[in-house]
Amino acid sequence: MRRRTLLKWISGCLATLCASVLGIPGVSFVLQALQKSGSDGDRVRRVARLKDLPVGKPVAVPILGAREDAWTVHPDEVLGRVWLVRRKAAANEGAEATAQVAAFSATCPHLGCAIQHDAKENRFQCPCHRALFGLDGERVAAKSGVQKNPSPRAMDLLECRLVTDETTQEVWVEVTFQKFEQGLTKRVLKA
Amino acid sequence: MMQSFLNWLDARTDYRQLLAPIRLRVLPAGPRWAYSTASCLLWLFIVQLVTGLLLMLSYSPSTTTAWASVHFIEQSAAGHFLRGVHHFASHALIILCGVHVVRVLLARAFQAPRELLWVTGLLLFPLMMVWAISGNPLSGGLKGVSQIEVEGHIIGSTPWAGPLIQRILIGGEEVGHLTLTHLYFLHVGLLPLLVIGLLLFHIGQVYRHGLSVAELGGPQDDVSRWSSPNLANLVAAHPTPTMPPRLKYFPHQTVRNMTVVTVVLGIISVIAWLHGAPLDAPADPTLPHTPRPEWYFRSLFELRRYFVGDWEFVATIIIPAAVLGFFVFFPMLDRKCSPRVSAVLRVLVVLFGVGTWSGLTGMSYFRDWNDTEYLVSSSETDVLSVRARELADRSLLPPEGAITLLRDDPKTQGPLLFARHCASCHSHADASGQGIVANEPSAPNLYGFGTAAWISGTLDPQRIVSEHYFGKTKFAEGDMVSKVKELFDGIEEAEAAKMRDDLKLVAQALSAEAALPRATAADHDAQAPIVAGRELLSGRLACTDCHKFRDQGELGSAPDLTAYGSREWLLGMIGNPQHERFYSGDRNDRMPAFAEDTEHPERNLLSPRELNLLVDWLRGDWYEPPTTSVPAKSRNATLAGN
Repeated sequence: MRRRTLLKWISGCLATLCASVLGIPGVSFVLQALQKSGSDGDRVRRVARLKDLPVGKPVAVPILGAREDAWTVHPDEVLGRVWLVRRKAAANEGAEATAQVAAFSATCPHLGCAIQHDAKENRFQCPCHRALFGLDGERVAAKSGVQKNPSPRAMDLLECRLVTDETTQEVWVEVTFQKFEQGLTKRVLKA
Repeated sequence: MMQSFLNWLDARTDYRQLLAPIRLRVLPAGPRWAYSTASCLLWLFIVQLVTGLLLMLSYSPSTTTAWASVHFIEQSAAGHFLRGVHHFASHALIILCGVHVVRVLLARAFQAPRELLWVTGLLLFPLMMVWAISGNPLSGGLKGVSQIEVEGHIIGSTPWAGPLIQRILIGGEEVGHLTLTHLYFLHVGLLPLLVIGLLLFHIGQVYRHGLSVAELGGPQDDVSRWSSPNLANLVAAHPTPTMPPRLKYFPHQTVRNMTVVTVVLGIISVIAWLHGAPLDAPADPTLPHTPRPEWYFRSLFELRRYFVGDWEFVATIIIPAAVLGFFVFFPMLDRKCSPRVSAVLRVLVVLFGVGTWSGLTGMSYFRDWNDTEYLVSSSETDVLSVRARELADRSLLPPEGAITLLRDDPKTQGPLLFARHCASCHSHADASGQGIVANEPSAPNLYGFGTAAWISGTLDPQRIVSEHYFGKTKFAEGDMVSKVKELFDGIEEAEAAKMRDDLKLVAQALSAEAALPRATAADHDAQAPIVAGRELLSGRLACTDCHKFRDQGELGSAPDLTAYGSREWLLGMIGNPQHERFYSGDRNDRMPAFAEDTEHPERNLLSPRELNLLVDWLRGDWYEPPTTSVPAKSRNATLAGN
């Protein structure tokens, strides 16, 4: 009877060994989807010339770049869109003027639809669930007051600065393009 | 607590009764190591299901994505290992299938009532092979895809339904997206279902006949002499004095099975970890390749040599079907024989079968080992595979897929383009003659063109008239040759040595004009000699009397030395050698203009893409992975050395 127990125990051990030889790589292979995909390098992009931006009227600019998809790289794709809002026409275009342009991600913080500009009311609205935002990106309550604003937070403000091109001496708007998790009251950078 | 749960479960599912055949199975003749082949086959089959399912997570069947997704799998250690196990376990399955069939044959385990066990087993064997080869082209590699092309033709050349089946398999006339989706359907859909169905029937028969006849009392003792593990069950109720006490299958046989499975899986894992499954270059009909079947089809490949033309289907269909038919009906033949005759017959069948199979297989490999043409082609394929993986490891692939890797690679395409367009006159071979040698060299050997070593040859009175330079061209009688000879006319040995040193500087200066990517570091370190060489060029040595060099000299009488050998210079020279910058008017020897028409590039001998690839290759301008930069450097050193 002793021998029988030993044989059972050996069989069990060998079976476990075989199962783990495949099981450990198998699980790690499945979990690879959780790994952070390769960094897409420089996120800072020149998106528009300052003189092309009208004051008080938002302009949507596409963010172009290489999109990595598993084994493929699409070299020139629209990665997302950014709303640029120029607040005032400043005479000086130095460092202090940086604050005059704001850049907002066009992705709605609610569920990720593309935020549109409502020209009549001059504010932002998301067509999916009627989230409303002012030109400062903050949430706005609908006039009727019947419906609550579905967005959990204001539009995502992106880092933005003005730079002067060395050769043409033109002032450009540079935006650091980032994506954030949807549906959260706090801004969390997407992994 | 556990016990009460199991009781609860049993009351609802009767699982104890369902598992009884397994739990209570006995082995009257005792456990044996030889019995393990069946169990090992089953477990390897499960290994294939598990690894195959996991690979499906990241595999994408289409001509643009297949190779790329397999390379993606190979990028991770886990993917590399799983694909390796999947690959090598498929070979192990086929070997074990063969061992199992031979063992069953020798054990005479096909006797009534186990005919169906025997027949399903025999059907499973070729089905396993087809299953295995249907997986090969899925990687989108050169080898696998050319295999399926040949296999398609074999099916197509079969009379009657052949062409129809070929079209369905390939999904049209040529290998493409549908070939891969069809093979994927076969490999992960239809064939697994067929194999699982047959396997369940096969295993069901083992238990059916193992227990039921035992209850009836079992046959004579002489049968048990030839008992298979399954047949042994038949005599469970009749223990003979020589037999050990009745032992249950579990764990006495199980521990043996598990040991064998662990050893086999261990060997497979080690090979998979160390070598991984092969990944050839992405399939591309323009790349040279000589297809060969897998080792288990080598015997049929050899057999096909003896049936040519319309009779090929005899070797590919009739003979394999006849062999299978012979084995299927072998039990009927065997039944007519006495046990002694049967034993001899079965040993003879095994010896003859294994002998013929290995004879044909060996002959096929022997032919290849003596076929230099095949060996060259095979090593070229290996080089392409390594190169494709080097390029794919560098960055992600473009949306057009992996086929662009080698198509846009100067190192791969350069020699092909040179051989096609340039090698009727030019060679491209190093000092030892390695490389592309023209049949009748009648123009300069372009190996190392633009390097200081190559340029020195044009400044050496002996070498410039050799066949490596102007010897076989009309320039042998030209001004350049006479000018170079003049330099050494009537001067003392000491002066000649000084002249050679000066010309070395000139060669260095001209080589710097080419700005070869492999020489940039060396050029950077040798600024002083380069400047000195430039001064000699337009000064004392008066090259600029005929040649233009930077702002000295005029165009029209000799090739421009400004940016000599640079990318742009070579593009112009190959594009149109009769341009004013090179050999205008009747000064051009026989060099054709390969891209004269800039407005209609499609009319030219070389497309802009091909021209760029050729020039990049001539200049050694291609990507080398960082790890192999050492051999690249040493190659450059030998280049400069001649």
